[in-house]
Amino acid sequence: MSQTIEAPVRVERAETEEERDADRPWIVIVWNDPVNLMTYVTLVFQKLFGYSRAKAEHLMLQVHNEGKAVVSSGTREKAEYDVSRLHAHGLWATLQED
Amino acid sequence: MTALPDGGYAVELGDAEREVLRRLAEELRELLTADDPAVARLFPAAYRDDPAASAEYEGLVRDGLLGGRLDALTRLDATAGAKRLSHADVEAWCGVLNDLRLVLGERLGVTEDLYEEDIDPRDPRAPELAVYGWLTWLQGEVVEALSTRLE
Repeated sequence: MSQTIEAPVRVERAETEEERDADRPWIVIVWNDPVNLMTYVTLVFQKLFGYSRAKAEHLMLQVHNEGKAVVSSGTREKAEYDVSRLHAHGLWATLQED
Repeated sequence: MTALPDGGYAVELGDAEREVLRRLAEELRELLTADDPAVARLFPAAYRDDPAASAEYEGLVRDGLLGGRLDALTRLDATAGAKRLSHADVEAWCGVLNDLRLVLGERLGVTEDLYEEDIDPRDPRAPELAVYGWLTWLQGEVVEALSTRLE
């Protein structure tokens, strides 16, 4: 995503918030839902993030048992990109500041 | 579904099952093209507490998300009768099956404990619940086959 798309949103923010944005990472959360298969969610985590089977299963179980899990983090642009890939695979994902 | 040594996959489905799959895929294509509310679950909000940011995100990604799904439906329609599928074909099948289950699941109000009780034949949802159950079984087979490649 290009800076020119980001700029209109950031201009509206106060300067002090913008300074903080540069330092604080964004996190990507996957939320539990009653349809997605556990084996499918595990596969998606392996495929999209290159996680080992063990790590992907651990995150999947966290989603399943606790209702949500943080699956990645980074700049806002990276987090939005990760969210869009998760959405493309039918998972319910959101991003927020850490 | 079985992963083959040459990188492809063998599919064993009856003709009637393949026809059901084709028909369901066609119905999903119509819903997507019409932007029916039934497919809203396939385009979730990216920001929990920021509708403006979510709207901006949607403006950027929606066409790509929609296009990807329509491409997968096209690929499934083209390969629904095949006995051997490529890896890309199977990934498309997996995506279509997941989308079908999400849309149907939402319509039926499925919960995680759906299979703890048998379907009551008098339940008006019974035929669709049976379809949902079959799609769940098939996607499970597909995911298992795809997973063998990642071990």
